[in-house]
Amino acid sequence: MDKILATVVVGAWLVTAQPVLAEIQPEPLGVVETLPETYPAHWIIVQDGSFFHMSDGKFMVIDADSDEPATRFKGMFNGSFIPQFYQAKSKPEMYVAETFHSRGNRGERTDVLTIYDKRTLAPIDEVIIPPKRASQMPLLYSLQLVDDESLALVYNFTPATSVSVIDLSAREFVGEIPIPGCALVYPMGGRAFSSLCSDGTMLTVLLDDNGAQASSSRTEAFFDVEADPVMEKAAIIDGIGYFPTFMGNVVPIDLKGTTPSVGAKWSLVGGEAGGWRPGGLQLTGSDARGHLYVLMHPEGYDGSHKDPGVEVWVFDPDARRRLRRLELELPAITIGLTRDDEPLLLATNINLEIDVYDANSGAHLRTIGGFGQETPFLLHGSH
Amino acid sequence: MRWLDKKMEHSARGLAQRTSRRGFLGKLAGLVAGGAATVPLLPVARAQDNPFPEEQGDPNSCEYWRYCAIDGFLCGCCGGSANSCPPGTEMSPITWIGTCENPVDGKNYIVSYNDCCGKSSCGNCLCQRNQGDRPVYQPRISNDLNWCLGTSSNIYNCSTAIIIGAALDT
Repeated sequence: MDKILATVVVGAWLVTAQPVLAEIQPEPLGVVETLPETYPAHWIIVQDGSFFHMSDGKFMVIDADSDEPATRFKGMFNGSFIPQFYQAKSKPEMYVAETFHSRGNRGERTDVLTIYDKRTLAPIDEVIIPPKRASQMPLLYSLQLVDDESLALVYNFTPATSVSVIDLSAREFVGEIPIPGCALVYPMGGRAFSSLCSDGTMLTVLLDDNGAQASSSRTEAFFDVEADPVMEKAAIIDGIGYFPTFMGNVVPIDLKGTTPSVGAKWSLVGGEAGGWRPGGLQLTGSDARGHLYVLMHPEGYDGSHKDPGVEVWVFDPDARRRLRRLELELPAITIGLTRDDEPLLLATNINLEIDVYDANSGAHLRTIGGFGQETPFLLHGSH
Repeated sequence: MRWLDKKMEHSARGLAQRTSRRGFLGKLAGLVAGGAATVPLLPVARAQDNPFPEEQGDPNSCEYWRYCAIDGFLCGCCGGSANSCPPGTEMSPITWIGTCENPVDGKNYIVSYNDCCGKSSCGNCLCQRNQGDRPVYQPRISNDLNWCLGTSSNIYNCSTAIIIGAALDT
């Protein structure tokens, strides 16, 4: 009897102690996450050039503040065959210039400017453009917007060089501007752009209301293409482009108006010994205070201009003065910055992971890797 | 694109730990110029394998003299050779050039880095060396461009290094 009673008591205890689990309710189907229209300040967009499978490029939205590998990945969108990228500042749109062949790696070629919604990361429209866009390593100045972001400009290379003009309001291609002997698109004030030229000059084209060429002009030659060529990988700060040179100088060019104004060249290196030079894939960046960041390596030589950098030097470009040197944990090929007042410095290191630093102190905060990226060629702070 | 060679990853990390930062880059450059080879073979050791009798070295090594300004996958590692494309690809008729010194005769030669096109990235023997390379506003000597132009497909597979002739200034 005692045994029976004990069993009953224990059984009753088990019944009462066991939490009552609610039955799982049916869940809604078809839920797809969305992102905020304005991304948090430390979210970044990682441009994976997919060098080993170029037709499957992608862009990943990552929370660079997060130490949680699973949840810091916020979403992604695609770009075909070494796409070029631009993120609008005035509207929640992003643009990808990309190339498709009708049979994957063969067949008819189609180039498009694809327009993505920042909130859904889904393509919302596309504009067919001439199948001429330059397929080259990702460069910031292959695709730019001008005239209050109403016109998109895509750099073409066939090897004849030109620029395709797209009216973003009408969502249509409106014309092609030849730029013989020149390359890339640097945004100017108003309906104008400039390009760097092989004779050491800068060509500027002013567009009319229809997106056709209204006029063009050239600067005097301002750099020596043999002795100390400028790099095309400039940082534009408050409308002034800072173009590093192979030998460690920088040329400021005021791009705010409709004709560029070339300023005096100054040295990034100063009297520093050790053969320091700028180098890398995207080797310049800037922060909200207008400071210029340059990826640097010592013992420079002919051909070291794309070598990984071991330090980032930070300059006040107005004062032409170096503010600090940031030593990197690992050499890096590309840098980028977030756009807030407490910026993060981002660096694609030689392991092709992304090192995150406090841009003010230089402290290494974390390394972001292992999330499927293979060749994170460009790192964009988000808007 | 030698910094993309993942096989250098651990060696590079080890070097970074063992050496000063200032000395690191030069050693890294020396290491990665050899591409995947962590222990580069001496040219003499490879000479007998070289299909180009007037030259020395391994034509499938990133260190090979013809590749002084190349950027891409070496076609010799992709089913072709230093001067031929892999089966089923199409050689680009236009390209960029480099000027490289042949260590055997001490002469500079013009090297045409014709890309092979129509198939996706070969993925083997990635090699980037930038001697004489210039930005894309000087396209004939820029290796940042995909030169699969004038071909039926502009999809990039690998790069050759074809001797055009001796440079005039030597």
